[in-house]
Amino acid sequence: MGECGGQDQECTGAAEPSPCCSAGARAGGDGPLAWFANMIPNALAYAERAKQAGRPVVGIMCEFTPRELILAAGGVPVCLCGGSGEMVGAAEEQLPANLCPLIKSTFGYHATGANPFLEMADLVVSETTCDGKKKMFELMAERRPMHVLELPQTQDREAALELWYGELCKLRRALADRFGVDLTDERIREAIGVMNRERRLRRELAELMASDRPPLTGRQLLELKSTISGIPEDFSQYENALELLRGRTGESEPAGRLRVLMTGVPMAHGAERVLEIVEDCGGLVVCMENCSGLKPILEDVDADAPDPVRAIAEKYYHLPCSVMTPNDRRMDMLRDLAAGYSPQCIIELIWQACLTYDVETWRVRRLAERELGIPYLRIETDYSPSDSARIVLRVEALFETIRERRGE
Amino acid sequence: MICAGVDAGSRAVKVLLMDADSRDVLGSGVCDQGIRQAELAAGLLDRVLAETGAAGEELACAVATGYARNNVEPADTTITEITCHARGVRHCAPEARTIVEIGGQDSKLIRLAGGGLVRDFAMNDRCAAGTGRFLEVVAERLGAEIGRLGGMSRRSRRPAVISSMCVVFAETEIIGLLAGGGEPDDIVAGVQKAVAARVAAMAGRHVEPPVLFTGGVAMISGMCEALAEALGQEVTVAPDPQMTGALGAALLAAERCADKG
Repeated sequence: MGECGGQDQECTGAAEPSPCCSAGARAGGDGPLAWFANMIPNALAYAERAKQAGRPVVGIMCEFTPRELILAAGGVPVCLCGGSGEMVGAAEEQLPANLCPLIKSTFGYHATGANPFLEMADLVVSETTCDGKKKMFELMAERRPMHVLELPQTQDREAALELWYGELCKLRRALADRFGVDLTDERIREAIGVMNRERRLRRELAELMASDRPPLTGRQLLELKSTISGIPEDFSQYENALELLRGRTGESEPAGRLRVLMTGVPMAHGAERVLEIVEDCGGLVVCMENCSGLKPILEDVDADAPDPVRAIAEKYYHLPCSVMTPNDRRMDMLRDLAAGYSPQCIIELIWQACLTYDVETWRVRRLAERELGIPYLRIETDYSPSDSARIVLRVEALFETIRERRGE
Repeated sequence: MICAGVDAGSRAVKVLLMDADSRDVLGSGVCDQGIRQAELAAGLLDRVLAETGAAGEELACAVATGYARNNVEPADTTITEITCHARGVRHCAPEARTIVEIGGQDSKLIRLAGGGLVRDFAMNDRCAAGTGRFLEVVAERLGAEIGRLGGMSRRSRRPAVISSMCVVFAETEIIGLLAGGGEPDDIVAGVQKAVAARVAAMAGRHVEPPVLFTGGVAMISGMCEALAEALGQEVTVAPDPQMTGALGAALLAAERCADKG
């Protein structure tokens, strides 16, 4: 552990919270929940079968990488973001300690060979997002085939979009050459259809949480996803889940859970600790504005566009990641989500040393307190559970403050 | 009816008994925190009940707070230190708008709205910089009793600059200062300044007066002055600052009784 300074976590509130708070959250022993509880083994079996059938496995580490192009090339896009704290030690042999745990965990899997998906990968597609990832990719590329996309970091310039479009055209050629496929517009449109459907299904599931009494907990909703996109069985399970849960309400709880919007960094599989604490303390995470939640699935790709690659470039170019400057789109997204999901507070998760999201916390706090009139709590942590008791204290105090103001 | 507030902190357990109706304090006690947290808290509560002459009388309600709040078996419920300190301050200094609470392993800054309700709070993260533990480590390293730190810092002419904000690194830094011939008085003054600066950084620019200082560290002489200087505000030590959390917990317990009754 290094020196620590400036790691305070604050909570603030400004106005009366919304009166609604009852939100039971049991979905019961449904098929879809059981299916996704087994997500990693399912995805692994799928990847192994695909590999045997001659399909390449392509690792990705960021929501900017368009899975559409990988699917169109016959590939299996698999997310490699690490969520395990156990991998951090191995990573720190090469990486600095003061780096985001998601990057270290991902790299730890690379160093130890412990992620079967990465070991199966015929190619890794990465991109120039944050400095930590960008430099980590250089080390990973020393012994894995890697294609790096240059991601522009502004979203309001024609030249930036053109650069990004050019990068995706290059990726299209690289995938076609590497995997010996004719990557036609038709195939790309088909893949756009698959990804649009996946996004729509996941979006509709997330929208169930807008209800006064959502049928799921935030933890359960977070479970309804897969590390591999485009698995047909996943799609039927998403549809089953929607059928089972639509129109259903959670049991009302006498104490009433507080509705929470979580924002900030993504919670990779295995790194759900803070969300679990929030819900154990009596919160109900009704909305997740992050890369493991709604951020990457709110916008679809125009399936009818004359140039499908340009349409893909435009969708991904809009992603409101904190590496973008300015990142006003994220503030707009938060405004829209707050209006749709009626949270009583915003809790922002920051992985230690994630500079871009951390600097942006100032703007998110201001938006929450001054504009939306709801309390804001920033939680900075990493993948080790040693600070759980302190996080519990902050979350409990935040909830007490909200309840006290309502005169409960 | 008797109510109790139990503040099971990281360094000490505090108990305060209160008459639920009159809100008079009937008795209080403190003991060191230890390994058997549940036994310590329950034992102290029994002792204070006996001393108050209330042994055998049934507790109408007990509220536990502090870092070990979930290990207080006789408690009916738990409430965080943030809410309890705010409640305690609302009782003993209703005019206060800012609370600085420094305990064994946490430092907190609590802003109060009108009516003494919590408006927002900030607290230290994983590390123990700016907490009582930080001061203890320094006192141990200098072979000084913690009660003497105030006198030492007052004698200092040139407070040492402690740049490290991590307890472990600061200890190393202090060893370096001592090896370089640094005066213990200057080191203590430097450390108190550093702790206060840490709290001031947490507070940001806007600290609304009056500022009340609570928690065990408020009993260490010199800290209040260091804090006042760092905040640029007058700082008042709460009456019996170590007990503020237990007082707030007892008041919240009394309120629960009133609600039930």
